[in-house]
Amino acid sequence: MPESESAEQPPQEPVELQRDTAEGDGTAPAGLSEQQQRTLLRLLKVAYPHPDFPDDPYERTAKAVQDADGSAELLADGLDDLDEQAGGDFAGLSDADATKIVEQVANGAFFKLVHSTTVVALYDDHQVWELLGYEGPSFDKGGYVDRGFDDLDWLPDPRVEEYDGEPRAEIVATELVKAEGSN
Amino acid sequence: MATIDHKDPVVVIIGSGAGGGTVAHQLTTQGVKCVVLEAGPHLTRDDYENDEWRAFTQMAWLDMRTTSGSWRVANDFPNLPAWIVKAVGGSTTHWSGATPRFMEHEFRTRSVYGEIDGANLLDWPITLDEMAPWYDKAEKAIGSSHRHGRPALPANNNYKVFANGAERVGYKYYATGPYGTNATPYDGRPASVQDGFNFQGDKSGAKWSTAVREIPRALETGNLDLRPECQAVKITHDDAGKVDGVEYLDAAGNLHKQAARVVCVAGNSIESPRLLLMSSSSLHPDGLANSSGQVGRNYMRHMTGSAYATFERPVRMYRGETMAGIIADEAKYDTSRGFAGGYYMETLSLGPAFLAAFVEPGEWGRSFTEKMDAYERTAGMWIVGEDMPQESNRITLNTEVKDQHGLPVPNVNFDDHPNDVAMRNHGYARADLLYEAVGALSVHHTPPYPSTHNLGTCRMSDRPEDGVVDRWGKAHDVPNLFVSDGSVMTTGAAANPTLTIVALATRQADHILSEMNAGNL
Repeated sequence: MPESESAEQPPQEPVELQRDTAEGDGTAPAGLSEQQQRTLLRLLKVAYPHPDFPDDPYERTAKAVQDADGSAELLADGLDDLDEQAGGDFAGLSDADATKIVEQVANGAFFKLVHSTTVVALYDDHQVWELLGYEGPSFDKGGYVDRGFDDLDWLPDPRVEEYDGEPRAEIVATELVKAEGSN
Repeated sequence: MATIDHKDPVVVIIGSGAGGGTVAHQLTTQGVKCVVLEAGPHLTRDDYENDEWRAFTQMAWLDMRTTSGSWRVANDFPNLPAWIVKAVGGSTTHWSGATPRFMEHEFRTRSVYGEIDGANLLDWPITLDEMAPWYDKAEKAIGSSHRHGRPALPANNNYKVFANGAERVGYKYYATGPYGTNATPYDGRPASVQDGFNFQGDKSGAKWSTAVREIPRALETGNLDLRPECQAVKITHDDAGKVDGVEYLDAAGNLHKQAARVVCVAGNSIESPRLLLMSSSSLHPDGLANSSGQVGRNYMRHMTGSAYATFERPVRMYRGETMAGIIADEAKYDTSRGFAGGYYMETLSLGPAFLAAFVEPGEWGRSFTEKMDAYERTAGMWIVGEDMPQESNRITLNTEVKDQHGLPVPNVNFDDHPNDVAMRNHGYARADLLYEAVGALSVHHTPPYPSTHNLGTCRMSDRPEDGVVDRWGKAHDVPNLFVSDGSVMTTGAAANPTLTIVALATRQADHILSEMNAGNL
C-alpha cells in the first residue's frame, strides 16, 4: 500500500459538472422565504433570458438551485444581498436595472453557485429541449436514420468520399515565417 | 472468463481501453493468460444512456483531480482536467471515431521542425513505414470507413454544412471519414442508425470500442480474468528489479495483490504516470521506471478549439454520427501559416445540456442565451492539431489532496505553447471563412474542453536518458514493465490518437509474445 494512505484529510470529490439532475421527490424546498424564492426566480429569468420560455422550466431550475449541495446559506445571503442592492425588491426592477445588479455580483461565489447549477438544470430540462428544437434520445425510435439525419435541403449534397485527385502535400513550406493574419 | 489465482504470475494489464483492451485481446487469443484490472464498472450497450448528463455521471472519470497552470480549463473546470471514461472499454466507450493515421514527418518532428523555444521535441524511435502494417491491422479491427473496402458514412446535416463550406473555400481533402463506425454491417456489428450519441457510449454497437470487440472476444478465449472496479495502486518489484505484482483495491476497498510475470500499464496519460509515481521504492526513489525524470512530463492534450456557427435555416447538427466529417487540408507542415505542425477540422455536435456548459464557460445573459436559442440552426466543428510537448506540462502527485481511497490525487499542470495559440487562432479564422462561405450569421469560438486526448507522459525514446519507454513501449529501467497507452507518444501529431494507440498496442503485444516464446519474459 502506498505510504500516503493517511486518513487525516477527508476524501474530496470534484463538484462542478456533477449536478444530480434526476427527478426530485416533489416536496417543496425548505429554507428560502417566499421573498427569496421570488428573487431567485427573477434572477434566473434576468440572467438566462429566453423570450420564448414559459415560467415552468425556470421554476424547476430554481428548485434545483435550492437543492444543490451546500448551497443553503450562500444562496439565502446572496438573494438577500440582491434585494438590498435593489433597494428592497430585486424582483420589481426592470430587466436593465436587474441586469446591472447581476453584473456586480457575477464574479462572486453566490452567482457561481447559481450559474453552475442553472447551466445543467435549465438546459437538461426536456421542455427546454423541445423549445430549442432538440429531439434527444433516438435509439428506441430506430435512430435518426429514417427520421431526418440528412434532411437539410438548403445546400447541395456534398461528396462523402475522399478526394481522388493529387494526394495531399504533407510538407509545404519549411521556413518558419510570420503569416499574415495568423495571430 | 478465466479465474486466475492471485499467486499465479500472469500478464497483468491495467486498463481496458484502446491500449489495454487491445493488448489483452492479442495475448489471450494467442493462449496467454491475462488479468485485466479496470478501475471502472463493466458497462455494456444496454447500460449506456442516451442522455448527456446521465451518461457523464455514469461513465466519466470523476475521481478528484487538481489543476494548475495558465490553461483556461484550470479556471473553468479546476477538478476536471480531462473528460475520459472510467468503465470497461475505457475511453473507446465514448470516443467519437475519427481514425486518421499519423503523417510520415510527424514521427520525426525534432528533425523537421527544428529547435522550437520551450518545446521538448524529440523524434520517435520508429517510423511510419514500420507502423504501416500495424495501422492496417488496427483499421481492420476498428472497421474504419474509407479503408480496406469499408464504405463511407452518408452525409448528415452537420456534414452538409461543413463539406459545402470546405468546397467553397477551396479545401479538397474532406470526407465523412476515415471513421470507426459501420456504414454497413461489419465484423458482427450492425450499421449505424445515426442515433447521434457517441460521447455517451453507443447503444447499437455500430461503433467500434474495446468494450464491444476486444474484451468480449478475450473473455471468450477463457484466458482473461477481467476484474472491473479494481483500482491499481502500486506496482511492486523483486530484489532483481523485475516487477512481480500489482496491488489493487476492489469495489469494497479491500486491498489485493495479483502476482505478475509482465505488467502492462494502460490507464491513460494521467493515471499511468500517477501509478508509476505512486510505485516508488528504494530502487526507484523518484517513481517506478523514472530514472530519466520524464515520467509525467511532456503532457500533451492536442491543440483544440470548437467553432459553432448559426444560420437562418435549420441544421439539426445532433442528428447522425457526431464526427463523421473530416477536413485534412490544414493537416500539413506549412510554416507560412506562422506555426509548426498541422490540424484537422472535424464535425462536432453537443446537445443543449453540454453546449450550455461548454460553449462559453461562465457566460450568462443574452449573449449566452442567444447561442442556446439558435440551437436548431447551429452547425459545429472541432479543431484538433499537434501541440508542443513541454517538460513543465506535467502530471505530479498532489499530496495535499487525497482521493476516496486516501491516495494523492494527480495534479495536471498545463500552459499553452505560443505555437498552440497561433495554431488555434489560425483554425478559428479558417472556421470563420468556411462557415461564412455557406451563409453563417455568426461563428462562436469555443475554448478547449477538458482534455479528451491525453498523451506523452511516459514518452518513447531510444535513449534511456530522455524517454521512459523504448521502441516497444517497454520501460528502459524495468525489463518486464510495459506502457500500452497514449502515454508513450513521443509527440502527439495532429491526428486523433485512438487508431495509433491501437496500432502501437497490437505491435507491442506481438513483441511481448515473441519475447515470451524466446524465454526473455
